[in-house]
Amino acid sequence: MNAQNKNEYLFLFRGNEWSKHLSPEEMQKVASQWMAWFERLSEEGKVIGGSPLDGEGKVVSGKNGRTISDGPFAESKEAVGGYFLLRVNSMDEAVAIARQCPGLPYGAKVEVRHIVDQCPLSGEPVPNIHIETALA
Amino acid sequence: MNAIEMSNDGYLLLLHSNEWWKDLERQELEKYVAQSSAWLEQLMASGKVKGGQALARSGVIVSGKSGRNVTDGPFAESKEVVGGYLLLNVETLDEAIAIAKTTPGLEHGRSIEVRPLTNVCPSEARLEELKREEQLATA
Repeated sequence: MNAQNKNEYLFLFRGNEWSKHLSPEEMQKVASQWMAWFERLSEEGKVIGGSPLDGEGKVVSGKNGRTISDGPFAESKEAVGGYFLLRVNSMDEAVAIARQCPGLPYGAKVEVRHIVDQCPLSGEPVPNIHIETALA
Repeated sequence: MNAIEMSNDGYLLLLHSNEWWKDLERQELEKYVAQSSAWLEQLMASGKVKGGQALARSGVIVSGKSGRNVTDGPFAESKEVVGGYLLLNVETLDEAIAIAKTTPGLEHGRSIEVRPLTNVCPSEARLEELKREEQLATA
């Protein structure tokens, strides 16, 4: 059974550094473009969810999560700044959409991951919990 | 402009996976899988989860102008990769951290990233910051 037969993909927008070197005008432009991109995808029925992530946050590790550290979220080429959860038909289509990300020319990166409905360890079905999105 | 409402309340857990279980014997692996399933079911029953899925091991990283660079990721670039995510509808960071602490596999070196959802785009927040700085400079 193909574990990757769900047509859902997660975009993780990586990198926080790139926006720090923009002028206010460029920033405004990118922010509008990004919103327009998300809206367009929503209108096409491709959006399941999405959100920016606050720069604050923690990393939990160690036995029983005894170590709580501040993440390197503020200045990092890899920090996740937001996500989209999309419903499209193939990885190729997901990648084609990712290429439209307005932050790309400035250094942002988009990690594109396929959702699975089978546990990679056991092959058993995994719970697939869906968020509710309200479209105005 | 039609405002799209994104899920802006709550917390995102990014469950990093270091595949520590890769060389386990079948019996031990079954035990871990059962433990993980039970944990997830318990979480779902608590009503604190509004979303959650596992991610395929493979994936790509898109970068460069017009996304002209598409490289195999993320395991190609890093030993620790996001293996799944959970969206929590708890109200405080402390509650989200408390849940993160219960994740199976922590004792084997994996880590959980706990991030608040926000309705302010990071670049817009930065824009506001710049505007404030400008105002201070001209005051």
